[in-house]
Amino acid sequence: MTNRTDKSIIQARNIEKIYPNGCHALKNVSLDINRGEVVVIIGPSGSGKSTFLRTLNQLETISDGTIHIDDVSLTDRKTNINKVREEVGMVFQSFNLFPHKTALGNVALSPIKVKKKPRAVAEQEGRELLKKVGLAERMNNYPSHLSGGQQQRVAIARALAMHPKIMLFDEPTSALDPEMVGEVLDVMKSLARDGMTMVVVTHEMGFAREVADRVVFMEEGELVFEESPERFFSSDNPRLQRFLGQVL
Amino acid sequence: MEKQSHLLLWKAVFVLIIIGLGFGIYAGSKSIDYTWRWERIPQYIINTEATTVRSPFDGSATIEKGKLIVTSDYGDDPLVIKKFDNLLVSNGDLVFEGDPLAEVENWNIGPLTWGLVMTLQLSVVSLVFAVVIGLFAGLARISSNPALRYLSITYIELIRGTPLLVQIFIFYFFIGTVLDLDRFTAGVAALSVFTGAYIAEIVRSGIQSISPGQMEAARSLGMNYVQAMVNVILPQAFKRTLPPMAGQFINLIKDSSLVSVISITDLTKAGREVVSSTFAPFEVWFAVALMYLVLTGALSWAIQRLEKRLSASD
Repeated sequence: MTNRTDKSIIQARNIEKIYPNGCHALKNVSLDINRGEVVVIIGPSGSGKSTFLRTLNQLETISDGTIHIDDVSLTDRKTNINKVREEVGMVFQSFNLFPHKTALGNVALSPIKVKKKPRAVAEQEGRELLKKVGLAERMNNYPSHLSGGQQQRVAIARALAMHPKIMLFDEPTSALDPEMVGEVLDVMKSLARDGMTMVVVTHEMGFAREVADRVVFMEEGELVFEESPERFFSSDNPRLQRFLGQVL
Repeated sequence: MEKQSHLLLWKAVFVLIIIGLGFGIYAGSKSIDYTWRWERIPQYIINTEATTVRSPFDGSATIEKGKLIVTSDYGDDPLVIKKFDNLLVSNGDLVFEGDPLAEVENWNIGPLTWGLVMTLQLSVVSLVFAVVIGLFAGLARISSNPALRYLSITYIELIRGTPLLVQIFIFYFFIGTVLDLDRFTAGVAALSVFTGAYIAEIVRSGIQSISPGQMEAARSLGMNYVQAMVNVILPQAFKRTLPPMAGQFINLIKDSSLVSVISITDLTKAGREVVSSTFAPFEVWFAVALMYLVLTGALSWAIQRLEKRLSASD
């Protein structure tokens, strides 16, 4: 196992997830992620990669194991999970923008309500973030008047507005029309360049090859294989080969 | 063009059917032995009957700049009438105590209008309580806490399973006696508890119709459950539940007519009282129906306006 040092900002150890219906979604998954590292998780659908990602901000509880984010234990009952979530931004496959708020309203809502920032300050920061993701012209549009790519970029800005230390991406481009995938990936690449710690579940092999520091392959709830991109894509692991043969 | 003329034709059919119905009602009213006395109704809505002002003392009347002034012979303060509709004395007349001086038209609110005001009060107060009750019961209904959930289900099933009329009697005669409630409070309590159960179900279905991703997104941004509900879920659910809410509010206004059984003089009870003094039941009930229609129509219009305003984000 590489990179398992005390620099880790995420330490997930021996994660088990068994749903009440008996479905065993995660089997003894361990993964440490360093500050500033970009980790891409790939795998067939139903492999538990989204479930694993969602355990990292406790949208999904775990049945066994431990998770530490920045040395805070998520399984400790005394931990205020809302505080942890402020540090861990998440971007969803289906954007999940708040349809009753404008783009700026979406970005500014949480800083106002959770961080108790004055509206003017939160909106000023929101405008800057939207400018950063290339949506300066669209600030006052409602999500229903934005394209999929624009919505996903607003969603990224919304997560960034809480100044998270970690960003989780759950198949951020899977619901997009092909011509809009690029604009979202570009925003993610610039985030990675700025040194953001990112965990990305995706099917974009190009993104994995280009941006990832490490690529993780999951199948049937197990973490099968983790490597640097160069070694990952030239590996002869049979399970990985079978999967790559299907998607490439 | 073809399509448009068809639409016009069907609009004409609608107008014809309405005219036909109106004529049917008119013919029906002619065929029975009933004398229509519509002229008796307006005074029960607004009473403009003139009252006669009489002199309170002996003295003399003077008319100055449209004002009638009566100066007393015995040093009492002079009586000044600034507005009158029909003068019964002339300038310089001697008047004695009790003499008619002038007629003044008074705009008195009639019993039907008082009834309308009472119905409005009942409805508005009940509505506020019903929304509060319904919101909490609806949230409890989807709570993960079994105690809250079962309490809410029990409440909703009990209330929806029994007639409002029976509930009003129970509230007035049993709970009203135990807690020493007056009629109005008992009526409001019965109406809001009844309507609250239906609003709870509307709230529940409204919240459940919002995609779970909204809650996840809100929570992932660090909001706690209450913040996510208040800032993200409820505003969306509110917009989506407006049409069924409007129906429920209109039902509340109409259901408020049932509290007349515990002697609250609402529009319906006022109607019954006016019938017994005018012997004109048909006219009175038509008038009462129209007054209810004004209330519900205004509400319906207001909610439609609100819906339009909220549709900005669609």
